[in-house]
Amino acid sequence: MFYRIIRGDMRAGKLITLTTLLFVTAAAMLVSLSAILTVNLTGAIETLMMQAKTPHFLQMHSGELDRVRLKAFAEQNSKVEAYQVLEFVNVENARIVIGGKSLADNVQDNGFSTQSGKFDYLLGLDGKVITPADGELYVPIAYMKDGTAKAGDKAVIAGKELNVAGFLRDSQMNSLLASSKRFLVSEHDYTAIQSSGSTEYLIEFRLKDLSMLGDFKNDYTAAGLEAGGPTITYPLFKMLNAMSDGLMIAIILLVSLLVVAIAFMCIRFTLLATIERDTREIGVMKAIGLRVSDIKKLYLAKYAGIAALGCVLGYALSLVFRGMLLDNIRLYMGGNEKASLTLLLGLGGVVLVFLAVTGYVNGVLGRFRRISAAEAVRFGTVQDKSGGAKQLRLSANRLLNTNVFLGVKDVLARKSLYATMLAVIIIAAFVITVPRNLYNTISAKSFITYMGVGNSDLRLDIQQTDNVAAKAAEVAAFMEKDPSISRYAVLATESFTALREDGTEERLKIELGDHSIFPVKYAEGRAPAADHEIALSVMNAEELGKQPGDVIMLKTGAQTLELTVCGTYSDVTNGGKTAKAAFASQSADVMWSVIYAELEDKALVGSKAGEYADRFSFAKVSGVDEYVTKTFGSTISSVGTASRIAIVMMLLISVLVTVLFIRLLVAKDRYLIAVMKSLGFTDADLRVQYFARVAAVLVIGIVLGTALANTLGEGLSGALIRSFGAASFKFVVDPLAAYLLSPLLLAGTVLIATIIGTAGTGKITISGYIKE
Amino acid sequence: MKKIIAADHIEKVYGHGGERRKVLNGVSVSINEGEFVSVMGPSGSGKSTLLFAVSGMDTVDSGKVFFDGRELSALQENELADLRRRRMGFVFQQPTLLKNMNLLDNIILPAMRDHRKNVKKITERARALMKKTGIEGLEKRDITQVSGGQLQRAGICRALLGSPQILFGDEPTGALNQEAAEGIMSLLAEINEAGTAVMLVTHDARIAAKTERILFMCDGQIVSEMQLPRFRGTELEARMERVVLRMRELGI
Repeated sequence: MFYRIIRGDMRAGKLITLTTLLFVTAAAMLVSLSAILTVNLTGAIETLMMQAKTPHFLQMHSGELDRVRLKAFAEQNSKVEAYQVLEFVNVENARIVIGGKSLADNVQDNGFSTQSGKFDYLLGLDGKVITPADGELYVPIAYMKDGTAKAGDKAVIAGKELNVAGFLRDSQMNSLLASSKRFLVSEHDYTAIQSSGSTEYLIEFRLKDLSMLGDFKNDYTAAGLEAGGPTITYPLFKMLNAMSDGLMIAIILLVSLLVVAIAFMCIRFTLLATIERDTREIGVMKAIGLRVSDIKKLYLAKYAGIAALGCVLGYALSLVFRGMLLDNIRLYMGGNEKASLTLLLGLGGVVLVFLAVTGYVNGVLGRFRRISAAEAVRFGTVQDKSGGAKQLRLSANRLLNTNVFLGVKDVLARKSLYATMLAVIIIAAFVITVPRNLYNTISAKSFITYMGVGNSDLRLDIQQTDNVAAKAAEVAAFMEKDPSISRYAVLATESFTALREDGTEERLKIELGDHSIFPVKYAEGRAPAADHEIALSVMNAEELGKQPGDVIMLKTGAQTLELTVCGTYSDVTNGGKTAKAAFASQSADVMWSVIYAELEDKALVGSKAGEYADRFSFAKVSGVDEYVTKTFGSTISSVGTASRIAIVMMLLISVLVTVLFIRLLVAKDRYLIAVMKSLGFTDADLRVQYFARVAAVLVIGIVLGTALANTLGEGLSGALIRSFGAASFKFVVDPLAAYLLSPLLLAGTVLIATIIGTAGTGKITISGYIKE
Repeated sequence: MKKIIAADHIEKVYGHGGERRKVLNGVSVSINEGEFVSVMGPSGSGKSTLLFAVSGMDTVDSGKVFFDGRELSALQENELADLRRRRMGFVFQQPTLLKNMNLLDNIILPAMRDHRKNVKKITERARALMKKTGIEGLEKRDITQVSGGQLQRAGICRALLGSPQILFGDEPTGALNQEAAEGIMSLLAEINEAGTAVMLVTHDARIAAKTERILFMCDGQIVSEMQLPRFRGTELEARMERVVLRMRELGI
């Protein structure tokens, strides 16, 4: 009898048993893969950063450099183990030609350097430190991957001919997310190129103890040393290296969670249906004195079997596919020796999936306790204890068509069965809506004001040049006379030292000028207007512990300014740590300047940008749209892609789950269907009843899912956006798409799936199921 | 007397290949309006199959079945459903009532399919039938809260609500104790008296003895028929003896 129950169960639900197996296999494979990838990635990063001796503290600097003062600081500071200054010459992309093609379209800042002496080595693909001979050029690995260069190519750098001898791994700038790339040449060739670009310095420190990094940072700032560029520390390098593959792992993990959830749903469907069908048998078993745990074992055995098979298959598949996904890590970071550990951890992940599945089955089987032996044996069914359905009386129904009424009542009567389907619809509506809204929000023009960029037409950047202030003034003077420009604003960024309450100092880059012309979005407060006001980016405000109304002390030259924080705003530029003020600075020490302009005729953006670029060769001119595309374009398009993938995935999953669910319901309701038919209900009537059931679930699911998307989803997206520096995030919702088209699409798909699922009702004969 | 059902040489085969079994082997039978007919025979003789075939709930492999002059195999699935709902009533051995619905809702269910607007009238008629069948006051009871006999009565109410021309019963008393069975039988007799034809499948001579015509089946064929005067509550023992004797003669 026991064996029959299990076999009968499998046979009745061949499709769903197979689907369950499929999803368990996929889940096991993905979990195992992400475990294997994680271990490999962390191992590889560690190995790379150890071999390359990545600096613990890096200060980039362009401009004058006082080597004597730096050396003295390094020698006197007890935390420093090693110190060096590397030179790095930035060459314009158009003047870098590899294999006959220039890098003019490349978005990276490309520069050249020699091999380092003490640490921060550039490594070959064999993990060894490269020593280039004269005439040899080593190219960043990313350019091998994207096909920009191959070994043996001829390269011409600012007129100097070199030969691509190989590729290098750079523990600092390997990642595509790092905006610079280092090429390696010999000392001799470096000297030849040096005059063709602008030199930047990498001031690097290795510390005796990495945990002292925070203190060391303060020491460096307090000493007032060179700081004409970003500061990057060891943990950030690590993160940059981990980011792209880490994201892939995170996505695989997320997908595997989704797959596990679907596997759970399949299991839940089958189990609930089986339990309902076998209620009488279960009651009989209870009646003859079998324990609940004995009965559970029978059913558990089947799922343990499926889970075990799925996990073994999944693990095997993960071993097959791991090579493919590890290629990227191997290429960028080199191999990782701990192969046996990765296999073990992959196995651990698979075991986890197995335990989760069997644990879940065990949980669902807990329902056996609720089956009363007497009720089950007598009626072959257990009454749902929920009262909701009882309130709905056919005799009191004036509103709904009888078939629709029966459908709705069935949903209320068997809530737990439909809850699973409801969960799927809620998740589907949520997953469809959130990325869509996010995409809509970030692609809206107003979104750039979240990003610390004023809503203007033209943007001119003047940086990496001397005499920034004079050049900015020159542009401003020209704009003043240009009739096609309706308004403009010159903003100059200077570096100041802020005094914290505890007396320590903090470097603060402040953008000075009139911020009222092209305002950004303020999370709190408003733009600085008076001389004594300052607005802080959200990240800076958090770091300094300041809120609007607080006072901040600023050292400028010999005097100290007392400024009141008037607002905080979102910013993603310059690492999110900026400040804005309106006071006039005495110093001419402008780090960079940005000029925003608005045109009378928006159609002229392209030609005006060209005109200004020609006239002011020192400035980087871009239309703001173009600026947004260049800066966030890839993000916007990947969110767009993600949202489209999410829609397709969710629709497919909804179809799959609905078809499975309805087929299961039909299989389960065979007797009920036969009775209905014997009473004179047609196939069309039955189909309407199933439609009504699905529609009831759909309406609730879509409403809840959309509501969740606009609350929880907005919060989650906000948190994500906030981590990039943008606060006070609100969805810009396209109501037509979000509240009409998406729900209709989901509803339409699910209803079509219902038609497919109910195709079996016609085949159910009355005599087959009622005849004694 | 007008024929309500006429079956002409119907055959029904189950299984395939070497395991083919002719469950109905060229059966011809007719039932007149207002007639009270029972079908008897051993298990597997084809009684239930005949009932399902002549009521159009199952198809036949050859031969023809007419209901009120219309050939059933020529009808669409929907037309068959309409016939079942409007002109036939069914009572099965197990009361096929739907769970999660009270007795009243179960009874009015098929009628509500067509006449939702007349819910008041339907409900009134259902209550009247419940009173007549002795389950008055149980309207709001759940199907798990009443006895087997009461469930069967509710099933009969449901079958009668649409005022069918014929009521089919597949061992409607099979799952009941004698007292409950007697009650159901007198109810069926009353219904028949009021003009509805009744066709019952049973293997209980006591039940069959209360009908007017008995069809004896064996191996998929009607092997004998017995005509009895209308049962008036007397001479039951004598009628039963006749039935049992005929069964012995037939070896069933």
